[in-house]
Amino acid sequence: MLENIIYWSKQKKWLLLSLLFSGLLLLFPTPHGLEISGYRIIVIVILFILLILFEPIPLPATGMLIIVLQVLFGIASPNEVASSFMSDSVFFIMGSLMLAIAIISQGLDSRLALAIINVTGHKTWKISFGFILFCALLSSFIGEHTVTAMMMPVGITLIRNTNANPKKNKKLSLLLLFSIAYGSAIGSIGTPSGGGRNVIMIGYLSQFGIAEVTYLEWMKYAYPILILQIPLTVIVLWTTFKPEKMILDSAVIKLKTKVSQSGKLSNKQVLAILIFIFIFFGWIFFSSTLGLGIISLIGVILYLSFGLIEWRDLNKNTNWGVIILFGAAISIGFQMKETGAAFWLANNFIEWVNSFSTNINFSYSLISVIFTSSLTNFLSNAATIAVLGPIVINIGGDSLILPMITALSSAFGYLTIVASPSYMIIYSSGLVKSSDFLKGGWKMMIMSIILLLLFSNIIWPLFL
Amino acid sequence: MKFLLAVGSKEFSNDTLDIGSKIAQAFDANLSIVYVGSKPKDLYLNRVKLAQENLEKWEIYHPGVEVLKWAFKKLRDSKFIEINDLNDFNPNNMLETSGGYKMILPSSYGQKIDLILREGDLIEELRDECKKENYTIGIIGGSKKRNKSNDILQFLPTSIFITNNFKINKKYRILLCVDDSKGTELAIKFSIIIAKKMNLEITIITVSKIKKFKNGYKNAAKNAGKLLEKEKINFKQEFVFGDPVSSFVKYGKDNHIIIMGDSSKSIIKKFFFGSKPLNTLKRTNAPILIVRNK
Repeated sequence: MLENIIYWSKQKKWLLLSLLFSGLLLLFPTPHGLEISGYRIIVIVILFILLILFEPIPLPATGMLIIVLQVLFGIASPNEVASSFMSDSVFFIMGSLMLAIAIISQGLDSRLALAIINVTGHKTWKISFGFILFCALLSSFIGEHTVTAMMMPVGITLIRNTNANPKKNKKLSLLLLFSIAYGSAIGSIGTPSGGGRNVIMIGYLSQFGIAEVTYLEWMKYAYPILILQIPLTVIVLWTTFKPEKMILDSAVIKLKTKVSQSGKLSNKQVLAILIFIFIFFGWIFFSSTLGLGIISLIGVILYLSFGLIEWRDLNKNTNWGVIILFGAAISIGFQMKETGAAFWLANNFIEWVNSFSTNINFSYSLISVIFTSSLTNFLSNAATIAVLGPIVINIGGDSLILPMITALSSAFGYLTIVASPSYMIIYSSGLVKSSDFLKGGWKMMIMSIILLLLFSNIIWPLFL
Repeated sequence: MKFLLAVGSKEFSNDTLDIGSKIAQAFDANLSIVYVGSKPKDLYLNRVKLAQENLEKWEIYHPGVEVLKWAFKKLRDSKFIEINDLNDFNPNNMLETSGGYKMILPSSYGQKIDLILREGDLIEELRDECKKENYTIGIIGGSKKRNKSNDILQFLPTSIFITNNFKINKKYRILLCVDDSKGTELAIKFSIIIAKKMNLEITIITVSKIKKFKNGYKNAAKNAGKLLEKEKINFKQEFVFGDPVSSFVKYGKDNHIIIMGDSSKSIIKKFFFGSKPLNTLKRTNAPILIVRNK
């Protein structure tokens, strides 16, 4: 019994410390200009960040705790919390997780492999370029982890075809796997459907009455950056992980032989692609009226209705805990706005920046980009936007620029496996170490930040 | 008897697997080989699983499956696992259990072999596995992180064999640490079994902090000598004055397998102040077996 208590305390030390720290914060007097409910929601946000960071309890439990605390602390009534929990953004996260399962299960990866190899040929740099290009373009529409999951078998098969022991071709392994992961990551900024965080920001902008950002409008801001990032990513990865083999002749031939065995596209695969194209056009033309989330759910219904995926597979593979967590995160964002906490934090930030900077707008963008991309490395990109979104919207005033900068820079956490599901997926292959992310990650981060600052400060104001 | 053997990678677990399987054979024990891999963050768990399931369609398996396959082949090559059609490694035969994935192989020379894949914190997963199955000894390669070894001894409810820098071709003696603790009796029994199976000689060491040996210590050492004589095992006895932990480390060097009973101190005292086995484990470079009375 005693041993179990000691063991539990040791295992749950971060839970105990997080609760203790948050409890202590509550004992401090409420800061000037902030209501008690606003202060309490800030403490809940800090607790939320700590619990996501250290994961001492399962994430759904964190989500539920955040919901419960809002009621217990008298921040909102149970019905208010419940209504702020569910939104179109949550529908989108749920729908996109399910769409990913439906798409991956169609076995389209071998087609993808063949398409890429046919275009790129046998040279390693061209294959890396092809991976980055395909992953970036595809992930901008269907989400990064879907593309990474589909491309991983192609990448690993090429690596293994080159040498049965991938450790002997370490740099080749890193080049190809990072081409997939970073390619998917840079693509995820391109459209709202590229990542749940984009939709969370769009949801906040709508809730806060700033703007109704359409699918195409988002693309106008983000797609040019995505396109420019592609060749730059090729250069960064090639110079960082210059591979042992410059040509992958036999590996490509073996891969071609393997994937060509799968024959022609089946009717089901054609139908799966058509449904996705239908959803895509739905996002473009009807997202302002129907919402991105509802359109995603229409897609899921179609996949289920046509028998392209079984409910039990969706149910088994959907992470319901993530949906609870992001519902709770968006709910805190909403309460930050309602209690004035977001406004108070934004004002303090503005005062602080004004105290040392003369070029206010540039300073806002710079600090926002650096802070967001750094926090993403520890917290995950969607959680970062859920927490920072309400604050930057208040800092930016009526302008879309700062919220867009924040949303896009949440994809720049290239340094850790925690930043994105794509990174966790390549890490789980056992061929990539967490320290490998630092090798090219910092270059990617600097490159992306400079590009975004150039666009947000020079190009966006000219054309948008 | 059932032993749990944790493997990490082909590079670092080679010798652990050698000595672990030999010891399991010595005791005629069933053996579970467990690989504990890192678990993706909860936030991404299902998405990583989805990617892994997709990889399996291309016959690309979890890195842990590759390690277990290597362990299987190594045990088969060393004739620990019988070679027959039923005893083949097939990743598709890994069944999902509450704690991970398990492949049960048909019995080999009377011993049941399980291959287990788990994901999560090493101590938590091993502890959970030990709770589910009643293991007698947990065998593990040792960790560069001393705190990890500490936790292994502290929180695993089995006897613990840390193989440290064990090398299969090196000649070892057993250093049997004897005092008046409850664990000594079982430590002697384990030493006899291992010495006979592996044809090792034993050094019995008894260390007193004061300039006199308590009767309990003398009797324990005498009893150990008698039992070894009876079993016709070559041994020598050492009586040393000084700090027990330093003496065990000094005599053990890196060419002894240290065998000692677990401390009978309370869990609180052990947690805050340590114990002889814990401190020896922290300081020694030799393989060490700490025997725990269940």
